[in-house]
Amino acid sequence: MTVNRMIALLLLVPVVALAQAPKPSETHPPGKNPHLGNADSIKGGLVLYRVRCGNCHGLDARGYRGPDLTVALGGMPDERLFQTIRKGVPGSDMLPSSLSDHEVLIIIAYLRNMNVSAPVDTITGNAENGRAVFTAQCASCHRVGETGGRLGPDLSRIGSARSHDSLVSEIRTPSEWMPPGYEAVTLVTKDGQKIRGVKKNEDTFTIQIMDARERLQGYRKAELQQLVFDKTSLMPEYGKERLTDSDLNDLIGYLRTLRGSTTR
Amino acid sequence: MRTITHALALVLTTIGLAAQAGPPQVTYQDILGGLKDPTKWLTYSGTYDGQRHSPLTQITPQNVHQLTTQWMFQTGQLGAFQATPIVIDGVIYITGVNNNAWAIDARSGRQIWRYRRDLPESMILCCGPVNRGFAVLGDRLYMSTLDAHLVALDIRTGTELFDVAMEDYKRGYSATVAPLVVKDKVILGVAGAEYGIRGFIEAFDARTGKKIWRFHTVAGPGETGGNTWPRTDAYLRGGGSIWVTGTYDPEQNLVFFGTGNPGPDYYSANREGDNLFTASIVALDADTGTLKWHYQFTPHDVHDWDATQVPVLGELPIEGQTRKVVMFANRNGFFYTIDRVTGKLIVAKPFVETTWAKEISYLTGRPILLPNNHPNELGVRTCPDLGGGTNFMAPSYDPNLKLFFVTARETCATYFAYDQKFEIGVEWMGGGTVRPRDQRNWGALRAIDPITAERKWEFRYPTVSASGVLSTASGLVFAGDGDGNLIALESQSGKHLWHYMTGVALRNTSGTTYMLDGRQYLLVPSGTTLTAFALPQ
Repeated sequence: MTVNRMIALLLLVPVVALAQAPKPSETHPPGKNPHLGNADSIKGGLVLYRVRCGNCHGLDARGYRGPDLTVALGGMPDERLFQTIRKGVPGSDMLPSSLSDHEVLIIIAYLRNMNVSAPVDTITGNAENGRAVFTAQCASCHRVGETGGRLGPDLSRIGSARSHDSLVSEIRTPSEWMPPGYEAVTLVTKDGQKIRGVKKNEDTFTIQIMDARERLQGYRKAELQQLVFDKTSLMPEYGKERLTDSDLNDLIGYLRTLRGSTTR
Repeated sequence: MRTITHALALVLTTIGLAAQAGPPQVTYQDILGGLKDPTKWLTYSGTYDGQRHSPLTQITPQNVHQLTTQWMFQTGQLGAFQATPIVIDGVIYITGVNNNAWAIDARSGRQIWRYRRDLPESMILCCGPVNRGFAVLGDRLYMSTLDAHLVALDIRTGTELFDVAMEDYKRGYSATVAPLVVKDKVILGVAGAEYGIRGFIEAFDARTGKKIWRFHTVAGPGETGGNTWPRTDAYLRGGGSIWVTGTYDPEQNLVFFGTGNPGPDYYSANREGDNLFTASIVALDADTGTLKWHYQFTPHDVHDWDATQVPVLGELPIEGQTRKVVMFANRNGFFYTIDRVTGKLIVAKPFVETTWAKEISYLTGRPILLPNNHPNELGVRTCPDLGGGTNFMAPSYDPNLKLFFVTARETCATYFAYDQKFEIGVEWMGGGTVRPRDQRNWGALRAIDPITAERKWEFRYPTVSASGVLSTASGLVFAGDGDGNLIALESQSGKHLWHYMTGVALRNTSGTTYMLDGRQYLLVPSGTTLTAFALPQ
C-alpha cells in the first residue's frame, strides 16, 4: 500500500460515514417535531403536501377524492399521522410512502399550521331516510356491500374516503369530474346501433366499456361509425328539484356511515 | 504441385474454420460502417449519426401487415427493458434491470449466457434500476452500472474483464447510459442530478479501463462557463446528468451529448445564472474531451427539462448550401436544427404546446421567456410537464425524405418549488409537480421537416407514450403508443399500416432490425419481453 493510497483511504473514511443516507423510520422519531411552527419548514411542507397529497386531499386539504384533512386531523396525534403517511391506508388509494423522515415531518408541520378544526364532521342527516333515498335513487348504479348496480363506483367505503363538500358536489354536479373507469362514452356501430356506457380502458385502436346494461365489451375503433367521449356523466345531475336539500343531507348522512363494514 | 495445392487448401480450410469458430471481433471501422452490414447493430442508435434509420427493405409498407412473431424472450424479472440490443453474427446482447444482461440466440430466442452484477444493497436511484444497453469493441461488451461503474465483459462468456468506478454511488451517483465506443475509447457519463451530483462525461481506454479524460457538465470556478453559477459551492451539487447515449461526427472527431437538468430541479434561488452546461448539447473532442462548442436549450432550467435526447446528425440543404447539422427535439417542447460545426442555431420552433417561451431568438439563440412560469410554493401551470415535449425515447431521421420522427407528448403540469435542505443521499428536487385536474395528456408520433421545423404529419395516441422510433429505407416508421401497441406507419404520410399489442408500452425502447439467414427481423423490447418479428417464410 502506497502512502498516497493510505492518505486517500484515510480521507475517504469520513466521506463514506457522511454519505450514509438516513433510513426512513416506521414510526415518528422520538421527541417533538422540530419543524412545528418553523416558517421555512411550513413552506416546504406546503409544497410537498401539494405535490404528494393535494391530488386526493385537495390543494386546501379540505378533501377531494380523499378525506377532508382539516376535519380528519383534528383528533389525530402526530405519531398516528406520521404512521398513516408512512404506511398508507390499507384498502384505500393511499399507498405507503418512501418520503424521508424530514419530508414527513415538514408535511406534518404544514398540516398542523392550518386552522384544523376539531372533529366536527358529525353526521347531521337522518341516515335511515338517507338509506331509503339511496335505495330509490342511487342503488341501480352504485353498489354498497353486496347489493346495487355496478355502472357507477362502489360506495361501500365512501364515508371514509370523501368529505361532506365533495359528496355534495359529486351528487349535485357529477359531470364536473368523472373518475377513471367511469367516464361516459357513446358508440355508434356501423349498423347504426347506439351504445352508451362508461369507458373502462382504451388504446389507440380499441376501447373497452361497460354499457348501461352492465355488459363488458371491447370494440375496434375502426369498426365504429362514431365514438364520442361525452362531457356529461351517465349519472344525472341531482339538482334541488330532483333531490331536496333535506333529502340530500339525509343521503350524505347515510353515505357518511359507510366505512367498509357493510350490512350483508 | 498437387501437394502444394493440398497444403494450400488445408491452410485455407484452417483459416476458414478459425474464422468461423472465432469470437466476434468488432472494429472501430465496423462501427463507423454503421448499418452497411445488415447482419449487425453495433451501437446504441445503430449508426454514429444517431439516425436510427435502417437501409433494409425486405419489410415494406405493402407487406408489413404480414409480420409474424418468431419468438419471445422473457427476462423473468420485475422491471422493464429500456435498452437497445447489440446484434452480431446471429447473437443478441441486451441489458436489463439491476444490471442483468443476456446473450441470446437470434434464431430461437434461447439464452446463451447471463450476467448479473452484484450490486450494493442500498443504491440511490431516482428512476428505477434500469440500463440502456451495451457498447461493443473487439471481443468485449461495455456496460454502465447502477453503482456508477463501467464494466467490460467477455463477449463469449459474459465474464467480467475489468470493473472501474466512476464515482461513489453513496453520494447519489449512478449510471444507466449505454456507453459510446469511439476508436479505442469508451465514453459515458453519470446520472443523479436529483441527488445533488456534479455531472460529467468520461472516456476510458477500452483495453485497460484506464480513465483518459473527464468533462464536467457543471462548470467550476475559473472554467469556461464557471461564471454562470454563483460564487458559492452550488456547482458541486449542480446536476447535469448524462443518461442517454451521444453521437459522433468522425470528420470533426466530435462527440455530442445532451446534458441533464441543474440541481435542485425546481428551486433555483441558490443557483442564479444560466447554469452551464446543464440542459445543453456539448460538442467535445473525442480524443481529449475538450469543449469545442455548446448550445444551451434551457438556460437556468426550473422545470426538470433535461436535454438528454439523442442529438441526431445529418446534412441539410439550407439556403443553397449543404449544412452539417444536429437535429434535436428537446424536452422543453422546441425542435432545434443547429449547425454542428459552429454550434449556431439555424431554426427552432415548438413541436408541442409550450407556454414558457414565446420563441427562440435567432439573434441570441436564447428563449424569449413568457411570464408566470417560474415555480413557487403556490404552484404555476406550465406546458409541457416535467416529462417534456419528448424525453429519452430515441427519435429517427429519414435522410431521403428529410423527415425527423419523434414521439411527442402534449402535457401540462402545475410546478411547485421550495428551498429544500440538501442532505447527501436524499432526493433533492426543491419542489415537484402535479397534473391539473382538467388536464388531459395525450401523445403522438410527429414527422418534422428539420429545415423549417414545421410539422409534416402526426399520428395521435390517446395517452402519452415513451416509445422510441425506428425508420427503414423501405418507407416505414415503427413506433409505439402509450398502451402497448407496436405500430407501423408509412413514413411519407403517417398512414397506419399495422399494429401489434405487445401487452406493455415500449419505454424508451424502439425496434432494432437486422438480416439473419436471408430474412429481415424486427426486434422489439417491451416490458420484460423481447419479441422477434419477421415475414412468413
